[in-house]
Amino acid sequence: MTSARELPVIDPDETRRVLEEYYERGWTDGMPVMPVTESVLAEFLAQTARDPDEVLLAMPHLNRACTVRLAAINAAMAGCLPEYFPVVLAAWSALQAEDYVPRAIWQSTTGTATILLVNGPIRQQIGLNSRGNVFGSGYRANATIGRAIRLTAINAFGLRPGELDQATQGNPAKYSACIGENEEESPWPAFHVEHGFDAHLSTVTAMTMRSVAHIEARHTILPEQLALDIAGTISRTGALIHETISACIALGPEHAALFARAGWDKDALRRFVYEHAVNTREALTAVGKDAVSGKTRWRLSSAHTEAVPDSTGGAEVVRVLGSEQAVQIIVAGAHNAGVSAVIETFGPRGGPPAIAAVESA
Amino acid sequence: MLERAGVPAVSICTDAFVVPARAMADVLGHPDFEFVTIPHPIASLTPNEIEASVTQVVGEVVRILTRT
Repeated sequence: MTSARELPVIDPDETRRVLEEYYERGWTDGMPVMPVTESVLAEFLAQTARDPDEVLLAMPHLNRACTVRLAAINAAMAGCLPEYFPVVLAAWSALQAEDYVPRAIWQSTTGTATILLVNGPIRQQIGLNSRGNVFGSGYRANATIGRAIRLTAINAFGLRPGELDQATQGNPAKYSACIGENEEESPWPAFHVEHGFDAHLSTVTAMTMRSVAHIEARHTILPEQLALDIAGTISRTGALIHETISACIALGPEHAALFARAGWDKDALRRFVYEHAVNTREALTAVGKDAVSGKTRWRLSSAHTEAVPDSTGGAEVVRVLGSEQAVQIIVAGAHNAGVSAVIETFGPRGGPPAIAAVESA
Repeated sequence: MLERAGVPAVSICTDAFVVPARAMADVLGHPDFEFVTIPHPIASLTPNEIEASVTQVVGEVVRILTRT
């Protein structure tokens, strides 16, 4: 225990005044932020060779852009350590590649958030959690890297709720969402390796997520049973705003091992889920989603004046996934129970995932 | 955007979007931008109800289109 004599002398009233100043200026997500000075900013900028004025992502419809400097200020405010900043920069590259954010998805009533997936050795270097409570709290790197993105949305782009952020409900990931892949307890190649990156590289993948739905399956030892449980979770009609959806399956290590023991690789699981994530025409009709709009291609009732048949041409069994590639698979969480999750993502419904390498300074 | 392309246009939004619409006009440099509002919602209205809602603002649309 540290004795009082050794503690640095601070004025608690002054500290509080500074934090309250950030609140008054509307620069927070509702929780206190770390004050940022020029010297703090310099520590972050020293982590990259990039020009502080380089634009990372622009929203032309708002006449606003996020530069390296703005990303650094908000990362510092979020509570990142300077050595996290290369991960934040890679996140912005991935968001640019994903292309949903420049097209205003963060302003939409849908209330999506960005979830970041981190792969490679940087996870250990900065203590980024990929195991127990992976979607939960408790780890500075996860909490603050995800938060850096949200604070930038608020402060660089002005996306405040009720103003330029029109989310009807939003979702809890809008505070922060950043997970590591549990590569060490995965039976398969790591996500970034699967997509062509060297295993020694670290990467950040950006996904636009709506919700995380958990799959409780502690009892089964049959891969078909488990895969059907996953497919059933993906195919829920409530998720269908568009004709089809996309998803990232986050398998707990126990479930991943179950599949691997049965000889299934990621492609085998992907194929099975694609084939079995379906609704009957009757089920779609019951919820008024048995056709699509000829204008927006959103699902609606065949009785609607804009209705045209969906692209199955009236088939009795309707897939919710447009292709096998609309399903990504990762391994995350603790090896302690038969629990997995489906991250419901907003596209790309079949395209490659948006992955960016973490650059060293 | 249409008007920037030379096409006279009037924006119509529901009253749920007045604040973001005003904020968008501000960031695009037109704080005095005029738009028409109708009651929220519209997505769940019948065609007749939509027609009734829009009929009430036709005069306002014409006024903005023809203002000097």
